[in-house]
Amino acid sequence: MDSSLGQTRANGFGCDEDVLKVIYESISDLNVQLSRQQRIEKSPHAVLFGAGGKLDSLGLANFIVIAEQKLYDSLGFRIDLTENDPFSPNAGHFRTIESLANYVSDLASRRTKAPQ
Amino acid sequence: MQAGRSTALKLYLISDFNLETLGHYLSNGSTWPQVAATSAPFGQVFPALLHPGPDPLDFALVWTSPEKVVPAFGDALKSIEIDEDRVLAELGEFANCLHQAQTHFRAIFVVSWTLPAHQRGNNILGLRRHGPRRLLLKMNLALAEKLENCASVYLLDGQRWMDENSYSPKLWYLTKTPFHPAVFSRAAGDLKAAISGILGASRKLLVVDLDNILWGGVVGDVGWEELRLGGHDYVGEAFLDFQQALKSLRNRGILLAIVSKNDEAIAMEALNKHPQMVLRPGDFAATRINWNDKAANVAEVAEELNLGLQSIVFIDDSPIERARVREALPEVYVPEWPDDKTLFASTLLQMGCFDTAYAADEDASRQQMYATEGHRKLSRQMVSSAEEWLLSCHTVVTVEEQCDANRERVVQLLNKTNQMNLATRRLSSQELQIWLQQENRKLWAFRVSDKFGDSGLTGILSLEIRSEIARITDFVLSCRVMGRNIESVMVAFAAQHCAALGLQELRADYTPTAKNKPCLRFWMSSGFSYDEGKNRFLWLLRQPYPFPRGIEVRLPSLPVSI
Repeated sequence: MDSSLGQTRANGFGCDEDVLKVIYESISDLNVQLSRQQRIEKSPHAVLFGAGGKLDSLGLANFIVIAEQKLYDSLGFRIDLTENDPFSPNAGHFRTIESLANYVSDLASRRTKAPQ
Repeated sequence: MQAGRSTALKLYLISDFNLETLGHYLSNGSTWPQVAATSAPFGQVFPALLHPGPDPLDFALVWTSPEKVVPAFGDALKSIEIDEDRVLAELGEFANCLHQAQTHFRAIFVVSWTLPAHQRGNNILGLRRHGPRRLLLKMNLALAEKLENCASVYLLDGQRWMDENSYSPKLWYLTKTPFHPAVFSRAAGDLKAAISGILGASRKLLVVDLDNILWGGVVGDVGWEELRLGGHDYVGEAFLDFQQALKSLRNRGILLAIVSKNDEAIAMEALNKHPQMVLRPGDFAATRINWNDKAANVAEVAEELNLGLQSIVFIDDSPIERARVREALPEVYVPEWPDDKTLFASTLLQMGCFDTAYAADEDASRQQMYATEGHRKLSRQMVSSAEEWLLSCHTVVTVEEQCDANRERVVQLLNKTNQMNLATRRLSSQELQIWLQQENRKLWAFRVSDKFGDSGLTGILSLEIRSEIARITDFVLSCRVMGRNIESVMVAFAAQHCAALGLQELRADYTPTAKNKPCLRFWMSSGFSYDEGKNRFLWLLRQPYPFPRGIEVRLPSLPVSI
C-alpha cells in the first residue's frame, strides 16, 4: 500500500491530496449526524472502522455513500467503495483515513488506466 | 410541558425501514429544541403506534413505504391491475391506526409517501388511470383528507427533502436505509421546525432593511424613480419576487417591520410612490427609519408590538449590521444573507422558523390588528392618562365557553403565548379535551374588541375546583391586548364565577419561565395576596372583585356547578 500521502500523484486526474480533501469533506458531512464523542478527527491516522474505530456499520455505510457522491462530484466518474466488502474484518481499507485515501487513489488510478 | 425546558423531548421513530440515521441527526444536532429519538422495533408500524410502550413519549414520527402500508400499491408498481377501492381500504386502516394512536403522543408527524426517481415506470402512462404516480398522488391526498380531523396528527411533505440523489440503493442493500443522509438532514431540520411551531416557539415578526433588501440601490442617493424594482431588469425582478415572498408571509400572519438607516420622508415616498412596490407602508406593523443604532431600533419595535426578542427575525444586507444585532440581541434570529439578489426570495421561503401548527383566522388578520394597535397607540398619545385612554376605547370583552368552534384557536393561543401566561402549559387539542373531561375543570375564552377594531379570541382562563378552593390553571392573554385591563376582567370573571358557586378561595400558582415576567408583574398588582415561597396568589372570595371600570363584559350563561 502506498503511504505517500500528502504527495501529488501524477496519475493524470488527481492526487492523494485531492482525495484526502474529499475524504475530509465527507467526514465534515458525517460528523453532523454523530455525537460529540463519536466525531472523527480530520487526520490521516484517525481510525475509522474496526478495533478502536468510531464508526459502527451504519456509520460506515453512511460515510461510504457520502464519500462516493463527493468523489463523483470531484473526479467526474463513479468509484465503488464497496467493491471489496467494507465490513469484512480482512478488508483493511476503511481502517484509517490514510488507508482509505490510498485505496481510493488506487481505485481511481485503475479506473483511468482501464481501456475506454 | 414547559416552553424552553432544558430536557430533551422524546421522539419515537416508527418506520418500516431503518430510520436510525434520522435519529442521529435529531439527537446530535445542536439546534433547539433538543430531541432524544428512539426507534420502534423495525417494521412494526401498527403495533408501535397502538402500543408504544410504558415510557411517556412526546412525539412520534411515522415514515413508511407506500407499498408496505398499502400492499395494493405494491401490486400497482409490479404493473398488476388493481382495484382502487382496495387501495383506499388499506389506506383507511393506516389512517384509523394513526387516529387511535393520538392518545399516546402530543403530536404525530406522518411523512407523505414518495417514489424514487429511478422508479420511473412507464412515464408516458404514469399519470394515467391506474398509473403508479397518479395512484400515489391520490393516496397522499386521501391520507391528508382522512387525517384532517385528527387534531394532533400532522402530515409532512416528504417530497420536499428529495432530489435525484435522494434514494440510495447502496444504503438500502447495506443497511435497509433507503435514503441518502442528506435527506435525513433536511427531514431533521423540518421536523425540528414543526416541533418548535407546536411548542409555540415559531418566529412572529420579520424585521427588514430597505436599501438593497426591499429594492436595489440606495434611495437617498438615487431617488425612488431610479430604484431597481421590477421592470425589465433581472435584479429588479428578483427584488420584486422577494417583496412578494414577504407579502405571502404577511398573509400567513407573520408581522413585518422596517428598521432602516435612511431619511424617513425619502423612504416613505419610495414605499408610497414606486409603481411596482408590492409592500406599502400599511403592510408594516412598525417602522424605525432613522439613523439610530439598528439593535436599539429592533428592541424598540419589539417593545412597541409587545413581542419577545425570541419572536424576531432580522434581515439586513450589511454583515456589520447583522453582527451588531446578533451581538446586542442574541435572541433575535439573524440569518446569514446572500449577496446574490437572485437568491433572496428562495432563501426566505426556505426558512422553517415561521412554521406554525395552526392557521386560525386570527393569524391571517394579525397584521391588520397590529395596524389597528398602531392607531390605538396614536390615540393613547393624544389623551392625558392611561386610564382615560382605556375608557375612551369602549372595550368589549365577550366571554365564551370552550367549544368545537373555538377549540383550534384556544389550543393555538395556549401553545403560542409566552409573556402573559401563568403556567405555560403546552397541550395538544386532544390533551386539553382529556384534561377537561373531569367535571371540576372548566375553560373559558375571551374575545376583545374596541372602537378601533376586533382583536379576536385573545384570552384563556381555566379553573380547577377542589372542595371550596378554586385554582386558576391557565391564565393566558395574547400580547396584542396586554395592558388594556383585559387581565383584570379575566380575574374578576374568575372571582365572581367562583363566588357565585359559594367557594371560599381563588388561587393562582405562577410558574416562572424565561419569558413570563409580565404575567408576574400583573399578578403582583392584582390585589391578591402573594406567597413568595410557593409563587402563589390568593384571593378570599368573601371580598368582591369587581370588573374594571369602563369595559363592557358580555358573560356566558350564569355559572352552573362545575
